[in-house]
Amino acid sequence: MRPATPRGFRDVLRDEAAEREAVAAALVAVFDAWGYAPVETPVVESYEVVSAAGPESGEAEPFRLLDSDGELLALRPDMTLPIARVAATRLADDPEPLRVRYLAPVFREHASFRGQARQFTQAGVELIGATGPAADAEIVALAAEALRAAGLAGFTIAIGSVEVLRALVDAAGMPDPWGTAVLRAAHARNLPEVQRLASEPGVPAEVGDAFVRVLRTRGASAAIEECRDALAVCGRPEAADGVRETYGILDELGYSDEVVVDFGTVRSFGYYTGMVMQVYAPGLGLPVGGGGRYDRLLASFDRPAPAAGFAIGLERLTIALSEAGATPKARRVDAVVGGADATACFAGAAALREAGWRVRLACGISGLDLVRAAERTDAFEAIEASGGALYRLDRAGGRADALPEPPGPPPSERFSGRRRP
Amino acid sequence: MVRTASAGDLLRVAVPKGALFDDSVAALARAGYDVEGLRDPGRTLIVRGRDAKFVIAKPTDVPVYVAYGAVDVAIAGRDVLEEAALEVVELVDLRFGACRFVVAEPMSATRGAEELYRHLGQIRVATKYPRITERHFAKRGLQVEIIRLAGNIEIAPLIGIADWIVDITATGTTLRENDLRVVEEVMGSTARFVANPASLATKPDLVTDMADRLSRAVAAGEGA
Repeated sequence: MRPATPRGFRDVLRDEAAEREAVAAALVAVFDAWGYAPVETPVVESYEVVSAAGPESGEAEPFRLLDSDGELLALRPDMTLPIARVAATRLADDPEPLRVRYLAPVFREHASFRGQARQFTQAGVELIGATGPAADAEIVALAAEALRAAGLAGFTIAIGSVEVLRALVDAAGMPDPWGTAVLRAAHARNLPEVQRLASEPGVPAEVGDAFVRVLRTRGASAAIEECRDALAVCGRPEAADGVRETYGILDELGYSDEVVVDFGTVRSFGYYTGMVMQVYAPGLGLPVGGGGRYDRLLASFDRPAPAAGFAIGLERLTIALSEAGATPKARRVDAVVGGADATACFAGAAALREAGWRVRLACGISGLDLVRAAERTDAFEAIEASGGALYRLDRAGGRADALPEPPGPPPSERFSGRRRP
Repeated sequence: MVRTASAGDLLRVAVPKGALFDDSVAALARAGYDVEGLRDPGRTLIVRGRDAKFVIAKPTDVPVYVAYGAVDVAIAGRDVLEEAALEVVELVDLRFGACRFVVAEPMSATRGAEELYRHLGQIRVATKYPRITERHFAKRGLQVEIIRLAGNIEIAPLIGIADWIVDITATGTTLRENDLRVVEEVMGSTARFVANPASLATKPDLVTDMADRLSRAVAAGEGA
């Protein structure tokens, strides 16, 4: 047997796991500060729940399982579906709006040789039962604050709205298959194909032009005005109003460096109804996260409610941070405590922990061996416990000095630079 | 996951070698980009121009480079984009490199493949483009067994590997020379200017500028 993890799955070890924890903690702390409460859901869902995303779910193919009763299950491909299910059932009587957060692994099936993970971790929030520009702006601003707190700088959040293209499809007054083809081409971000469809006979010239203009404009307020002009010509000026007001709030709050308007922004899940957002980091060709408004999803679980949310991919965020040299440092062990007598070791270590130290045991090891053990684990100090006292060791393994009672603050709080025993 | 190799503010452009190479270089030159290094790159794979960094790539790898952000933008045939089915933004139809995807069969085939299908319930199709082929026949509701080959597709029906082939053709000469006739059209293809979605969001000015300049170069080329 060759022990290996299946394709697209991996183990996360020590330093990386510690870094991931630190990044996740930073995100969660911000979600918490904004009043979002944690929710956990099972890793598996009934396949029916997962397929509520609709047939347009694109790349996010769920991982399917058959249980012994013959029921078709799926590993959750994202957290929005399970949380919508919970909100529609277990939390249906809670006063709205509901603010929930999660940090959880999700699973997606990917074809071979794409170099894509099949399991990854999402940190995100859902705001259920609130609608309007302020709710949309809360989602975008919260994403920006969480990314900042995690240490990411220079990121871009592209916001758009699926309403704009839908309004134009309506205005074109063409048969259904044409509208589907246009939305599909826009979704595939194939501008020449949109152009071709927009110039088909029967499409009013101003609507055809509007498609191309809308998909081409991106930027700040000027882009929205450009889009509004194009929509106004088609008799649908209101379709961009949501984005305009949302952007207005974000702009006044000072997020205009991070937020851009891009009506070509698309999300691979088919359930979005209004604002959609995609987060990009410098130095990373794939989005770090995204989300949007999904006002019809809860209705498919028989509890209609407006909702919006976003998720950040922890793996991608970690890579973006390392690209920027902003990886949070994993906390080092303060001391390795050794000595011939195990009881003295345990007692000494306990006393140090009491004073806030991070301490690792090395019972039975003393002198130079103990210094080596401390070096191997990158601990600040090697400390020998002997006869109820604690001695700091020098590089050669000799007793440098005795720690006073009670011991002072841990070395990690005293030293800024690297110092080895 | 791929990190983007940072290159300051230079746009990183993948240029396909092979059939589309000369037209791609010409289009970039007409759009006003410094492509001197691309004229005779020899074995060099990365060429630094004044205002862009060019990565010379095998055509089928181009969509991968773009989707993973190894380059910001690229020129790629619609055919390879469709086959790769990766997330890239198609911005401009560059109009050159036109070719068609066709289904073809031997002229000598006495019984049409459709008739074989009625008797055997299956048709074997050889192609370099399994995804496009699969999608085409799924749409037609025809069950086919797809055989993926890497080269000389035209020979497949002649040596009995397949009843039909799905391949690209520009003029039809190769098909005729191999005694094949076109059964039906699958799709047309031309070269496209594409961008990585993240690059479009984080370097919108550079990407849009190149798209506009190429777009104008195409329009000017057609007017001439």
